[in-house]
Amino acid sequence: MIRLSIALIILHSVAFGAALGQSFAQQRPLNAKTSASTIRLSIIPTFGAKPIVIGDSAFQAKDANNTHIDALKFYISRIQCLLKGVVVLEEAQSFHLIDAAKEASFHLTIQNKRGARFDGKFDAVRFHLGIDSATSVSGAMSGDLDPTRGMYWTWQSGYINVKCEGKSNACTARNNEYQFHLGGYKQPFDCLQTLMFPVSVSDTITIQFDVESFLSKIDMKKYHHFMSPSADAVRLSARAAESFRIVP
Amino acid sequence: MKTKIVFLLFFVVIGIAATAFRTSNDALFAVPKGWQKPAYNFQQNPLSKQKIELGRALFYDPILSRNGMVSCASCHSQYSAFTHGDHALSHGIHDSIGTRNAPALMNLAWQRVFMRDGAINHLDMQALAPISNPSEMGENITHVVAKMQATTIYPQLFAAAFGDSVITGERTLKAIAQFMLILVSSNAKYDSVMRKQAVFTAQERKGYTLFKKHCATCHTEPLFTNHQFMNNGLPVDSTLRDVGRFSVTQNPDDSLKFAVPTLRNIEFSYPYMHDGRFKRLSDVLHYYTAIALQNRTKNHTLAKELQTPIILSSDEKVDLTAFLLTLTDRIFLFNSAFSFPRNIVFETAKE
Repeated sequence: MIRLSIALIILHSVAFGAALGQSFAQQRPLNAKTSASTIRLSIIPTFGAKPIVIGDSAFQAKDANNTHIDALKFYISRIQCLLKGVVVLEEAQSFHLIDAAKEASFHLTIQNKRGARFDGKFDAVRFHLGIDSATSVSGAMSGDLDPTRGMYWTWQSGYINVKCEGKSNACTARNNEYQFHLGGYKQPFDCLQTLMFPVSVSDTITIQFDVESFLSKIDMKKYHHFMSPSADAVRLSARAAESFRIVP
Repeated sequence: MKTKIVFLLFFVVIGIAATAFRTSNDALFAVPKGWQKPAYNFQQNPLSKQKIELGRALFYDPILSRNGMVSCASCHSQYSAFTHGDHALSHGIHDSIGTRNAPALMNLAWQRVFMRDGAINHLDMQALAPISNPSEMGENITHVVAKMQATTIYPQLFAAAFGDSVITGERTLKAIAQFMLILVSSNAKYDSVMRKQAVFTAQERKGYTLFKKHCATCHTEPLFTNHQFMNNGLPVDSTLRDVGRFSVTQNPDDSLKFAVPTLRNIEFSYPYMHDGRFKRLSDVLHYYTAIALQNRTKNHTLAKELQTPIILSSDEKVDLTAFLLTLTDRIFLFNSAFSFPRNIVFETAKE
């Protein structure tokens, strides 16, 4: 099942990535030079081809549904680089909160675990969307995992892997507001997603999370909000994972 | 040769560090003789006097609530075994009423999940629930941290505890957890009897025998809970409609199951049950020996231990009660190290 979804993601990225690559070339960080022991990974939230930047007011897409995005945050964790299926780079304490309101959070410099050799050669990148179960049951954490980041459920323990809130004319809830908080670390509602993308050797990788594609997969006449682990949250987490694409 | 020395030195340092950890932790927290190993991982949050004192301040400070009126201690007062004495359901900010009876706080280092339904998976994260619940403190941890940063006292207490004055959610929660960890109750008459420092009266001894026969499977010694979730057959309160653990797991087999509470200090932790429906211990015994039986066939999750009737004469109920009163630990209930920190002057949060 995981293999199938990875294959789907790869297909996805080949089909759509090429078309969007052009418009994103200029989004890459300019100072892309890194030492051989690190790679640069940029995770850019987009709406279709347009980057989502939430400033003082919500992001507004000029689409048929007049979609607004008030908040978009998600965790990327356990980042690894692979060569012929073997892990050649793995980040220690690999937990990153990507926040559409904080552009600096999009650009990550990934360093290999201390002491482990990495010669810069790899053919795939792999990471989790969300926080794994072992971390979820280990108590209070610092940095991006600190509960003050607003990504920890309070009435029931667990991290929110993906938080997406806003308005859409497609949403039949009060004020057309939708709130999708996807998370859950325990079976049968484990929402953690593993994503893998093939890369041509480069120390700079750009991956987009296309929220337009993600939201288009949700029937907002039926679903307005997710606030707890459930079978629907698991399904929707897979839809979120499918909306990630690599920029070739 | 050099590598060998470096290697040796490495182990010596590790050894010293490990011993230092054990010594400092042991001085502040001791496992009572015969008790199992605690569930809490102290290595991830090593105890210190300063962190415990910070946690104690946070426990008693209403700064944790939105309107500065409610502290942890409002619903968990020491003299009632850290429950909300005489309140079936607790009230939070703006006199809002919650849906459950505040549980007694003690021996939490041995507990793996928290709340009546086990919704919280770690002691560190427990405080987030009441802080955020609109019927309790109605706050959020991010705002609590901001309010504390604006005080005089908290940057000082955090600096004393953590080496610098930076206040984070992690530090706040770990400090509160440290205070909760030291709330160990192990000095009841029952404990003295087990340690052969005292003897039961004839009545208490009879009660203990009855206890072991009818109650101990779920209220297992020495913690007086098996830390499981059980359905004890209570009819659902039609206004609260609380389905217990089912709301967390969505598993129908967990329907109407609630955490088995400890019976330690039960004399002071009234009212009883997850919704505080029984005011007196006699109501509880009456329930288990009569009413539960009428409902026991109705729901499939009823504890198997309660599917055969518990029959107790009125004399036996008195004996059992006499035993339950030996679980009262006055050293715990009146330990000044757990009470309001008189040396700290709390400040009103500046907005």
